Amino acid sequence: MLRLLRIDLKKLTNYRAFWVLNIMYGLLIFSIPVSVMEFLKWLKVKGAEFEGFDPMRIPVLHFPDIWQNITYVYTFLKIFLAIVVIISISNEYSYKTIRQNIIDGMSRVDFIKSKLFTILLLSLGSTLFVFITGLLTGIIYTPDLSFTDIFMGIEFVPAYFLDLFTYMVFAFLLTVLLKRSALTIFILLLYTPIEYAISAYIPESFAFIAEYFPLHAINNLIEFPFAKYWFQEIQDFVSMSAVGVVLLYLVLFIYAIHYKLKTSDL
Amino acid sequence: MDTVLKIDNLTKHYGRITAVKNLSLEVKRGNVFGILGPNGSGKTTTLGILLDVINKTSGTFSWFGQPPGKEVRKKIGAILETPIFYPYLSAVKNLEIVAEIKGAPKENIDLVLQKVELYERRFDKFRTYSLGMKQRLSIASALLCDPEVMILDEPTNGLDPQGIAEIRELIKQIAKEGKTIILASHLLDEVQKVCTHFCVLKRGTLLYTGSVEDVNKGVESVEVMSEAPETQEVLETYNKATKVVEDSGKFVVTLVEGTHASDLNAYLFSKGITVSHLLTQRKSLEKQFLELLAESDNA
Repeated sequence: MLRLLRIDLKKLTNYRAFWVLNIMYGLLIFSIPVSVMEFLKWLKVKGAEFEGFDPMRIPVLHFPDIWQNITYVYTFLKIFLAIVVIISISNEYSYKTIRQNIIDGMSRVDFIKSKLFTILLLSLGSTLFVFITGLLTGIIYTPDLSFTDIFMGIEFVPAYFLDLFTYMVFAFLLTVLLKRSALTIFILLLYTPIEYAISAYIPESFAFIAEYFPLHAINNLIEFPFAKYWFQEIQDFVSMSAVGVVLLYLVLFIYAIHYKLKTSDL
Repeated sequence: MDTVLKIDNLTKHYGRITAVKNLSLEVKRGNVFGILGPNGSGKTTTLGILLDVINKTSGTFSWFGQPPGKEVRKKIGAILETPIFYPYLSAVKNLEIVAEIKGAPKENIDLVLQKVELYERRFDKFRTYSLGMKQRLSIASALLCDPEVMILDEPTNGLDPQGIAEIRELIKQIAKEGKTIILASHLLDEVQKVCTHFCVLKRGTLLYTGSVEDVNKGVESVEVMSEAPETQEVLETYNKATKVVEDSGKFVVTLVEGTHASDLNAYLFSKGITVSHLLTQRKSLEKQFLELLAESDNA
């Protein structure tokens, strides 16, 4: 297992786009909480009308709200990591190195595994980074730490991991089907609006089906949290049925990747 | 001699096209085996199937008497069509990946790079290499695991004469070490120069398989030139000549089997004719190849 990961990392770590995308991604993760606070401060300085309410006291980055808030926002950045995955796999097709890897003695399953391990590493790395960022931000901005449970709502962190991992495996599948990087990135970007457009046309009585579309299912892991700040009911937990649906898709995606590679001539 | 590769009734269809048709072959240890055929005759498809990158339609094959699989492939050094490497990585990094896949020791990397004379350029990116250097790197890569079998597909394709000579020298050198080599080529001359055995494919069908030596045997033709005016008459009366053809001042004499140019020379001398030009025409692989192709067209 480590050997397969080592092989794939050797291909990636010397590739410039890999670092550029990862560094951009890291900077964005780091800068979001900072800019949110700066924005709230700015609101305060400008004396925005909040009916006498101090915007700094909106608990966006306070424990326990922070976990759902930041994981929700950060899932929008997963496209960066998905692009890394798409480039890494489409390169293997355009350089024909997937073919040479197999000639040299990898099996098709080995190849899939080596890519999946990289995806696993990327999602674990990102999850860890988000966890640390959340923890530090929460500690810095929560007014009184003694009254709060830091790890309340922490289940959004593993949910974030599952979200990322499944999304990247989906990107893997798209790349195996489409082979060219630009096209795959384009389709991946278009896919979400397409899925939402389709779901808008489903008759009312069948509307629940949309929740089982792949990207709907992934997005259902972490629900939109900010509505609670205008006093609406939100789902502030990770629904187990969403996890179940996503896991099912994960298996399906990996099976489809395997089937496609097994039956195609490289 | 044991069998390295055995193919039985291998067939591959691409839609309605049959790329390989009921191919059966055997390659013995130590052979330098040439697969000859015009472009599109199924050479690369066959090698692709043998290396598991192309799915066969039917038939079987075995390497070293074992069914195909990734462990078998680790013992084979192979290049199909063009040299394939990560263009943004150096030769060393590329070979590290290959070594990791094949489970070959990293110490071999420097050795094989020296062997193909790329050691000086080992830290340069693959994309900066000339075509000849790329071909040599792929041979280095194929040698990395100290393979029992090497598969080379058109290894001199696109090279200049010097590059071709270098690669051929390298192949001969490797063959001398006792390795089995399978070489696909559409260049007959190349196969004749380096191979011990060969087969001929056309549109996926096997036309011929045998040793290169056998081709060089058989009836001889001799080119003769002489000042003496009665030459043609004398040649035609030679009882060991089956055919005499005049061709721009030269006579091409086809001799019966077992008779050689020296016999002809002795005969002419005994008749008082001295020759100014005497040349044995080897029946080249090219002729044999074209004959085979022509036969298959008539069939």
